[in-house]
Amino acid sequence: MSEQNGSIEETIKKETRENTILIYGKGTKEAPRCGFTKETIQFFEKYGYPYQVIDVLNDMPKREALSKITNWPTLPKVFIGGEFYGDTDILDEMEKKGEVKPLLDRVFQKK
Amino acid sequence: MITQDTLIGYVRTALPDAMVSVTDRTGTMDHFSIRVVSDGFKGKGLLDRHRMIYQALNEPMKDGRIHAVEIKAFTQDESR
Repeated sequence: MSEQNGSIEETIKKETRENTILIYGKGTKEAPRCGFTKETIQFFEKYGYPYQVIDVLNDMPKREALSKITNWPTLPKVFIGGEFYGDTDILDEMEKKGEVKPLLDRVFQKK
Repeated sequence: MITQDTLIGYVRTALPDAMVSVTDRTGTMDHFSIRVVSDGFKGKGLLDRHRMIYQALNEPMKDGRIHAVEIKAFTQDESR
C-alpha cells in the first residue's frame, strides 16, 4: 500500500506544482458535481486567472492522501502557487480582507 | 442527521468557551453553517481555526450525521 501511496503523493506534488490555481473537487470544470466545487469555480472565475479542476470524486486513495497531506477532511481543496488554502470558507474571508487579488497577482507574476 | 445541541456539544469539547450559532442550510439537519466565537482561536490563522472545528466534528462527519459544514470562526474581540 505504501508504494502506491508514494506515487499518489508524487502525483499530487506534481499537480500542485504545475497548476498555479488547482481545485481538487467533485466533478469537472464543465460539470461540477457538488455545490461547493461549483462555488469554488465561480470564485476563481471572478479573477480571470486560469485555474484547473481535478475530479477526485471516485478516487478514494487520492482523497485520503489529500486529506492526510492537508489535515483537512473535506472537498473541494484549493491549492494556490503550490500552497494549500482550504476552500471558499477560507478564501471568502481572505477576499473580505483584500488578500486574494495580491496573492494571485504575485503567484502569476512569478511565471 | 444531528441536532444542533449535539453539534454544539461536539464543538465545545474542543472549545469549552465557544459561543456557537448553527443554521440548518437545507432543512435536512446535515448541511450546516456554523458561527463559532471563542478565544481559543487567538493567534491562530483561518486554516488552523477551521481545522480545530473539523477535528471537534470529526466523529459526526465520519459517520455521516454531518454532510457539510460552512464555518465562520472568530475570537471574542473579532466578533464585536
